[in-house]
Amino acid sequence: MFNEIKQRFATDDVEVKRNDLYKVRIKYSRLFELMHMLRDEYDYKTLNAITCTDWIEEGHFALTYMLTTEDRKYTFMIQTMINREDAQAKTLSHEYKQAQIMERDLHEMYGIDFPGNENLKELSLESWVHTPPLRREFDTLEFVTNHLIFREGREDNVDTKAETKRLRAEKKAQKSKDEEVKDGK
Amino acid sequence: MEHNGFLLEQKTLEGDLNSDTSHKNSVDFLMNWFRKRSIFVLAYGTGCGAIEMPPTFTSRYDAERLGIRGAATPRQADVIIVSGYCSYKTLRRIIRTYEQMSNPKYILALGSCTVNGGMYWDSYNTIKKLEDYLPVDMYVNGCMPRPESILEGFIALQKEIGEGKASSWKKYEENYEFYRKNQEAILGKKVEPSYDADWYLYDGGL
Amino acid sequence: MENKHITIFHGPQHPGITGNMSIELDLIGETIQKATTHVGYLHRGFEKLIERRTVIQAFTIVCRICVPEPDPNEANFAMAVEELAGLEVTPRAQYIRVMVLELSRLAAQFLWMAGQSGSIGLYAVGQWAIADRDLILDLFEELTGARVYHMYIYPGGVRRDLPEGFLERVTTLLIYMKKRLKDYDDIFINNASFKNRAVGVGIISKEEAVANGYVGQVLRGCGIKADVRKDAPYLVYNELEFEVPTQTTGDVYARALVRRAEMDQSLHILDQVVRKMPEGKVMIKIPTHRKFKLPKDDTWVKVESARGEFAYYMAGDGSEKIRRMQVRGPSLVHAYTLLEDLLIGAELSDVALIMNSLGICPPEIER
Repeated sequence: MFNEIKQRFATDDVEVKRNDLYKVRIKYSRLFELMHMLRDEYDYKTLNAITCTDWIEEGHFALTYMLTTEDRKYTFMIQTMINREDAQAKTLSHEYKQAQIMERDLHEMYGIDFPGNENLKELSLESWVHTPPLRREFDTLEFVTNHLIFREGREDNVDTKAETKRLRAEKKAQKSKDEEVKDGK
Repeated sequence: MEHNGFLLEQKTLEGDLNSDTSHKNSVDFLMNWFRKRSIFVLAYGTGCGAIEMPPTFTSRYDAERLGIRGAATPRQADVIIVSGYCSYKTLRRIIRTYEQMSNPKYILALGSCTVNGGMYWDSYNTIKKLEDYLPVDMYVNGCMPRPESILEGFIALQKEIGEGKASSWKKYEENYEFYRKNQEAILGKKVEPSYDADWYLYDGGL
Repeated sequence: MENKHITIFHGPQHPGITGNMSIELDLIGETIQKATTHVGYLHRGFEKLIERRTVIQAFTIVCRICVPEPDPNEANFAMAVEELAGLEVTPRAQYIRVMVLELSRLAAQFLWMAGQSGSIGLYAVGQWAIADRDLILDLFEELTGARVYHMYIYPGGVRRDLPEGFLERVTTLLIYMKKRLKDYDDIFINNASFKNRAVGVGIISKEEAVANGYVGQVLRGCGIKADVRKDAPYLVYNELEFEVPTQTTGDVYARALVRRAEMDQSLHILDQVVRKMPEGKVMIKIPTHRKFKLPKDDTWVKVESARGEFAYYMAGDGSEKIRRMQVRGPSLVHAYTLLEDLLIGAELSDVALIMNSLGICPPEIER
């Protein structure tokens, strides 16, 4: 199987991660060809998940498709890179029914467009107008500080770092005192 | 007489529930007594604290012996439990449900998430301080609170009801502007309920 | 009289819904024409929060991803981190992990039993099942200090060793459970009112189940022997003896029978774990949390939860923070693709029944 993939798709990036997990990195243009080959010739019939990782430094999203064999024993990870700016990928929802909901999730969280997917409405957010939350440039702490009211700390609330320092110094002083007493004896 | 076992537990739990003298007249006393002894809790699990509700209400901890039991619809319920973190989408439903409940109504908030955000203090989709959006009668802290703590929270609430102190629904009506402003700040102008027959048509569904 | 189209919402505030989610139902009379699932009421942005935390900080929040059954999350997280960081766990820790996972599976099945019986109005079963689940939670409390969120399966082992005499108490529980489960057969599984409601309702075909990526009891209920513990054994499951129960009809009742048989298998596994528990350390040395770095690599791990395959995708980037962690719980596909299909043509009164038999858990859909 690996040799065929290497030859047909001109890639060396095939690795065995575990005895039941393989991974291949491939160009986006050949992605669907490989998926069809795995499905038709090697029994990888089920699409288990689509995940996306944001590599903001390198300027792309890594889309990973998990294909599983019919007996659910082996998993093939197919990874491909798509451009971060106006990210777009072909929809799989016509071949795999479950892809519809996974793509809807990715569309909401990363803003990736899947032309051909009929329903890309908001899934878990409601009336969200800001950057899609899982993109790296979205800073959740900044968002929270700007938009929400926090409870003020207790009156006896102390700066933990300063307090730790103080406690440590106190402990040290106590220890040297103890030693002095010991030595004195 | 010395109590032990179950009797002791019952006595400790109920404490001085029966001995309050702060009522103005006997009608008030009687009304409050009825209210505190029949608390119907709305069956709405808004967060993870809802997983400790079944043990609280079933045979082991048995909240029903204190007059606390479940109710299926908001119109029949006295207490809504906000059980844990509260995302914007849920908050909208909680507000709607709360406004549908009839007076007197109380809010019991479970878990540290409702107090100050808890584990999700930096999450972009949960509110950090519930009392800014809805009037809270009683907080029960913990992540998540044990059934015993929930029971104690209920007892404390019952005590306040008995003394006539728990009046958050009046507070909500009096300070409606304040609550509404906070709600609109995160939910936008279209805060439910709009009480329009075909609200879902232009709202795109629940 | 002419039948009219109506749209109603089942949930989020509804006693018959499995968690905080809602289904929009288009009805003619009592028959459902179209169902649309709505989730997102519990979205907390876990995947974002994990990106901002170090590995050990992230460990404390992963168990909150699925509320009825947090331990598979911890196991998945620990296994993914160990695989990326190249850590090897001691045999004793692995056995303890299996024990915790099986106990949690048993507890989740009891919770399912309460929900499933409640959905048809058999409330007595719920009272029993929740009380029996509490016996397991008591063991957890002794072991980990918490009833529901244990934070026990730590990257590199488990957080602490078993307390003295713990295995004896597990054995006592097993003896009790073996006797007790027969009562559930009488009151629930073989109960005519459950059988009449459940047989022939919510049928899933085998081909559909394979192609659409359904997992767990949905697959096993229609005759496919799929179980991660057998197919891709993790921890020490290859040293333990157990069977994968299956049924062929694919309806609600078949799924209930599968779950009931799985409870027996869990007891059987626990029995072996208690007898085989090796001696030794439970924790290996791991870097402190500021120095715990994951290499630039990714992996895909899965465990069998009480509702089916639960998988994590994890990618590191050479820093002390996790670059990306994606949760793929069993409920995502079940709540959308499957439930929306299954409800078409069903009666309104069967919605809660079908939902419970799929074991849908909303917090893991939206995370």
